Amino acid sequence: MANTMFSENNIQVIEQAPNWPAAVKQASQPLIASGAITTQYIDNMIASVKQNGPYMVLADYFALMHARPGIGVNQMGMSLLVSRKPVDLAGKPVKIFLIMAAMDNTSHLKSLQKIMSVFMDEKAYQTVLAGHKQEIITLFKSMGVTQ
Amino acid sequence: MKILAVCGFGVGSSMVLKMTLDKVVKELGIEATVENTDIATAKATDADVYFTSAELESDLEASTDKPVYAVKRYMDKNEVGARLKEYLATREEK
Repeated sequence: MANTMFSENNIQVIEQAPNWPAAVKQASQPLIASGAITTQYIDNMIASVKQNGPYMVLADYFALMHARPGIGVNQMGMSLLVSRKPVDLAGKPVKIFLIMAAMDNTSHLKSLQKIMSVFMDEKAYQTVLAGHKQEIITLFKSMGVTQ
Repeated sequence: MKILAVCGFGVGSSMVLKMTLDKVVKELGIEATVENTDIATAKATDADVYFTSAELESDLEASTDKPVYAVKRYMDKNEVGARLKEYLATREEK
């Protein structure tokens, strides 16, 4: 399970998304394609921001996008979209959209903890922000979150 | 000391906040355990202090007489550390 948590296919880098819902949709595409989530999960993430504000923006330029577990989720999954230029998300600028789809409240925590340890490392974080796909893949491989 | 990190669904944000709190606790060298949960469970869980988002602060404050601190950036060690120090200062006053 751990070695399939973040495949290269789930990492996208773009110049700039037109707006944050479009970024969330594009970031989620690999999970839609693999059948891990349905469009309902995307709708729920967008609705959650509209209802609760930008609390998913956990650091400058970083959003951990998620909705209630198990609804519109067939399989745990994570995907990443880096927008080189920031996109406004309810008043906060975001470049990194990390989509997390969980089946329940616990089974994904180990994977999430592992991937978050990458984003909480200042040097690694800057590498992701720089927005070069190959460098990000190399980084993720070196930190054991991509096979 | 027991610290509870709280978010809306209990699946992601609160665990990140817990990871940041763990780092800060270690750096400050204080004796504390940090747990994380969703808002509904948090209301029925006792702790010495609660950390959550500004959006959930008042909701949580209404259901506990323990202090609640709001954090804007869950991954920001400086901000989380500043809030924790504020709380530690109030304990010393007692």
